[in-house]
Amino acid sequence: MAAALRPAILRHIRIPVQTLGRSRPLPCLHPLPTSMIRSMSSHGDDHLTREEVVERVLDVVKSFPKVDPSKVNPDVHFQKDLGLDSLDTVEIVMALEEEFKLEIPDKEADKIDSCSLAIEYISNHPMAV
Amino acid sequence: MAFSLRGVRVPPNSASVEEARRRTLDFFKSACRSIPAIMETYNLYDVVTPSQLRSTISSEIRKNAHITNPKVIDVLLFKGMEELGNIVEHAKQRHHVLGQYVLGRGGLVQDLGPKDEGISEFLKQFYASNYF
Repeated sequence: MAAALRPAILRHIRIPVQTLGRSRPLPCLHPLPTSMIRSMSSHGDDHLTREEVVERVLDVVKSFPKVDPSKVNPDVHFQKDLGLDSLDTVEIVMALEEEFKLEIPDKEADKIDSCSLAIEYISNHPMAV
Repeated sequence: MAFSLRGVRVPPNSASVEEARRRTLDFFKSACRSIPAIMETYNLYDVVTPSQLRSTISSEIRKNAHITNPKVIDVLLFKGMEELGNIVEHAKQRHHVLGQYVLGRGGLVQDLGPKDEGISEFLKQFYASNYF
């Protein structure tokens, strides 16, 4: 009884599926595919320009109390040129983390020794704001 | 438990000064990462900036920078972790945090009034602490 009823019900419920003909040309970019508009992303998908990154990194380094602002340029090395020690380097990296809303893993943070490396890392980081 | 948030992952037995140094820097990083939470908990937004707190933490760490014995460094790290845990889990209160980390030595000291002008150095030190 149920076995006969089931296909009858299903015949009413099932929606006929149509496969799209392959002959229709696939619209690539027009209209804009919805995967490119992340309307619920809170992070802002506009990537930072390099000048902006350089600007902000230098600002962070200059506002560090132990640093002489006149010596700061995009190539300066924290320990060799600015005379800071490893604790100060870590502090600058943490200040950069706060500025760009990043979280830098330990292995990467150890390598950041100079302004140029910092700018490099931040520019390549996809989540930098 | 004090370490519910901080996570003392490594048992406190540093093999060498290098390992102790590593753990000090890790402690400093975890302290800096919890600064936003601390500012939120104790409502320090108008009082101090995160970079000032970072400087305070680094100067506290730097006070003991001359020590070379890894076991002593471990003990100091333990105490630091405990302090950080206390502050993060709101076991302290705002005036503790302000007095210990925001205002320096001259912040909470009572002003010497006219009655105290004639006292000796000994008495001034005696009023400040037991050990001098």
